[in-house]
Amino acid sequence: MKENRVWLVIRYILLIIASLVVCFPILYSLLISLETSEHVSTYPPQLWPHPFHFASYAEALQAAPLGRFLLNSFIMSAIIVCGQIVTSLLAAYAFVYLRFRGRGVLFLVFLATMMIPTEVTMIPNYMTIRSLGWLDSFAGLTVPFLANAFGIFLLRQYLLQLPYELFEAAKMDGAGHWRFLISVVVPLSRPILATLAVYVFLQSWNMYLWPLLTTNSTSMRTVQVGLGMLQNQDALSWNLTMAGVVIISLPTLILLFFAQKHLVKGLTAGAVKG
Amino acid sequence: MERNQNASRRPWIRKTAMWTVAASFGLTALLAGCGGGNTGSDENAAGGGGGANNGVIELKLWHAMGGVPGQALQHIVDDFNKSQSKIHVTAVYQGQYDDEFNKWKATQGQGGKDGPNIMQVYDIGTKFMIDSQDIVPMQDFIDQSHFDISQLEPNILGYYSVGGKLYSMPFNSSQPVLYYNKDMFKDAGIAEPPKTYDDVLADAKKLTKKGPDGKVAVYGIGLATYGWFFEQMLATQGADYVDHDNGRTGTATQAVFNGPEGLKIVNWWKSLYDAGVDLNLGPVTSQTQNAFLAGKCAMIIDSSGVYGNLVKGAKGKFEVGIGPLPRPAGATGGTIIGGGSLWITKDQPKAQQDAAWEFVKFAASPQEQAYWTETTGYFPITKAVYDDPGFKDWLKQYPDFQVAVDQLHSSKLTYATQGGLMGVFPQARQTVQDMLQAVLLGKQQPQPALDDAAKKVTDAIKNYNLTVA
Repeated sequence: MKENRVWLVIRYILLIIASLVVCFPILYSLLISLETSEHVSTYPPQLWPHPFHFASYAEALQAAPLGRFLLNSFIMSAIIVCGQIVTSLLAAYAFVYLRFRGRGVLFLVFLATMMIPTEVTMIPNYMTIRSLGWLDSFAGLTVPFLANAFGIFLLRQYLLQLPYELFEAAKMDGAGHWRFLISVVVPLSRPILATLAVYVFLQSWNMYLWPLLTTNSTSMRTVQVGLGMLQNQDALSWNLTMAGVVIISLPTLILLFFAQKHLVKGLTAGAVKG
Repeated sequence: MERNQNASRRPWIRKTAMWTVAASFGLTALLAGCGGGNTGSDENAAGGGGGANNGVIELKLWHAMGGVPGQALQHIVDDFNKSQSKIHVTAVYQGQYDDEFNKWKATQGQGGKDGPNIMQVYDIGTKFMIDSQDIVPMQDFIDQSHFDISQLEPNILGYYSVGGKLYSMPFNSSQPVLYYNKDMFKDAGIAEPPKTYDDVLADAKKLTKKGPDGKVAVYGIGLATYGWFFEQMLATQGADYVDHDNGRTGTATQAVFNGPEGLKIVNWWKSLYDAGVDLNLGPVTSQTQNAFLAGKCAMIIDSSGVYGNLVKGAKGKFEVGIGPLPRPAGATGGTIIGGGSLWITKDQPKAQQDAAWEFVKFAASPQEQAYWTETTGYFPITKAVYDDPGFKDWLKQYPDFQVAVDQLHSSKLTYATQGGLMGVFPQARQTVQDMLQAVLLGKQQPQPALDDAAKKVTDAIKNYNLTVA
């Protein structure tokens, strides 16, 4: 018993050290955001702000309408997440459970699109959005990202792991494709759907170039563009920039806390019943 | 900035998704490449040109000012909108200079529907803007409205004038100066900032301090390998960057910065580095600023526009002094104005162009320029500012700024100090920066390195000239 406890303590100490290392960049930006501008650049660097200085946050909120940007980013990311979940799930389902001619080739074609860098498709996408008159709107911000080969690939690989017997059993019970998809596949895929959702959310949240290109009014801009507004090219003020970074990374941190619980639950409950 | 990096990724994803993480890291690494400010984007941009509503003319101003200058610009725009009721200007931040410039390149030739009415462009984009033929020269408006430009700084106008014609209205202007830590100078027994290359080397040796572990604790000088400094140091020796009188009397066809003047600069730079008194942190000046504020180096060269920031950052630690940009003994040239200017675009109705001109005039007025300088540290573009009582008080508070003003006023306007003019300046600057690093790190000897860099720039100029001819 005693040895076990000692081992446990050691393990926790190691875990705490490891998590400190992982969290250091986040902690460091938080601490810098609380420094005064005089203290940011001292040598050796002062880790602990003295005194705590919250004015950078007020300044950052004043320099750019971050509240509006947060809302825009949130709406944009949420639409993209919903779109990708639906399109990826349907496409992956088709690739796994529907038998049709050229299925393998079509899947390879889908995969091949992953080889094309985003930058290459950006110009044609921009032209399309522009001719549709969608500049400076959520439609322009989200539509090009509603379907993605990566999501389809991810979900297809997962669905392949589900026993095909489930599909046969459902068929025997008279379930059609929709019924099987909604009652069996979706509940069993919750962990991977959550993973995809978090991944896509972060990806959309961090987009910079596309929102910068397609939006023009300050009221349609997203957080990453807003972060640029806090930076002065000639003289960077780190405390202000970091205050902005902390503000805009809060929603993603909250999402991670939330999704983490969901993920763990999904992983333990989603096992195939024997 | 690695804006696309998913920094908050955590190791909670279990087995089933482990490879998701691996794959996504691959993707993010790929995407991270497009987040940088310098790579910019070659694709199109949006921007809805203005229109008229209820008799009010709506104008879009594109700019690249973030942070304090961004807020100060917004303040000027607000002042303008309040000062009259016929024109309404909306300022839109379009990313840093390179991002904004590339966005503009992409909107060209599309009827101006999505482009700006007024556009702020950096100094080195001047030739490109003229060649694009999508702008109306500022001179047209000046002649048409008999606007008096005698109060504007001739040395600043010089940069943006080609063939006697002013193409854009200077807006944010700056010059390179030498900043020094007054306290460190006092401790080392140095009375005033160094003026010549030899002085800098001698002073830097005195200022460099070693720690108890034998490593350098304080460097004499921290020189960012920023291409702009090289351009300025050529001008202080009266040397041109490109042929055809720096591109001022004809289209430049060749880079000529590899002459004896260029060699003098590079040799001096290398002698500082070899003596172990130069802190080399790469081409980004915010790095040397931080080192300076942290007391890691006693001198830096930087834009006059960062003075306010440095004073603020050094408060309670040391006193910041300004000296003129060092030059070789006996050199009689001057410095070039840097920064950005305002352009009026062509693809818009005449009424909007005239409205844009109203705004440009307003931004150049003494009152707004005084506010602009006091808030940002950029130069006032009009001499009338020096009579402003509020500005006089400000100068009393920051007496060292006078050194920068004197440097500007004492620069004789020649082809060298007007600044080089070519369509590929952003690339040229990058080439020079790479050359400086190669020399400092001992990968190449100064003269061959200069020759190589000049050849690369010449090739780029030739390619560019083919596209506009």
